Amino acid sequence: MRIESREKNGVVILDLQGKLMGGPDAETFKNTFHQILEQGRKRVVVNLHGVDWINSTGMGILISGYTTMRRGGGDLRLLHVSDRIQSILYVTKLNLIFKCFDNEDEAVASFLDG
Amino acid sequence: MAGTVVLEFPRDYKFLNTVDLVCNEVIQNLCIKHEIANEIAISVIEAVTNAIEHGNHECCDQNVRVLFQCKDDRFCVEVEDCGKGFDYQCFLQNIPDPTNVGHLRGRGIFIMKNMMDSLDFEMVPGHGMKVKLEKKLKPKADGDVQKD
Repeated sequence: MRIESREKNGVVILDLQGKLMGGPDAETFKNTFHQILEQGRKRVVVNLHGVDWINSTGMGILISGYTTMRRGGGDLRLLHVSDRIQSILYVTKLNLIFKCFDNEDEAVASFLDG
Repeated sequence: MAGTVVLEFPRDYKFLNTVDLVCNEVIQNLCIKHEIANEIAISVIEAVTNAIEHGNHECCDQNVRVLFQCKDDRFCVEVEDCGKGFDYQCFLQNIPDPTNVGHLRGRGIFIMKNMMDSLDFEMVPGHGMKVKLEKKLKPKADGDVQKD
């Protein structure tokens, strides 16, 4: 899993590439979210456009990111969720937890809407 | 699909992608709806993830074995590891709430149970745990567009 970070209108966008499946990915992700909070940034969009697939361990990594941001007073959105990842979100009902967007501008703007 | 496809590989995350590629190649020939194909692929990855994560950590030279097979109108997958197993009856009766974000793990079996038509576990004496997955095959309906 490769993570690249950029910023748009005060929102951190994490572009993920590869497969989100646990192993070393968990530590990399955990460190990334802690660094974001330490830098005083609280709004994150995780762009899954480059993610081929995810497993439940990878879903756990996203949940960890979500809870880390929420506990730090921030929030997290998902962008470009494939139908395969969408199936996992629906079956686990995590679609009720994660706010998902197909458009980057809308994902970024959603933080301003509250 | 005629016959059986068997994969055997070391207990390492890096082989998950190989399993996914082979699984997709196998189910592509079944002429099934995209949604069903997705559910099979997701469940196979969950079963293999469990085998990699919970297989016997003291004998990492032991392999994970995955078998794909068509039986009449069912697609069957078996995933075998060398782990000590777990009390799956107890787990199945007390599957954690998947929406509880306090739990980072424990969703794999929930996903398999809900996406497949049958999920079964079996201890193989002298080897390890075998997970058996089955999905009834429904032919792809007219107008069902294959997505990437």
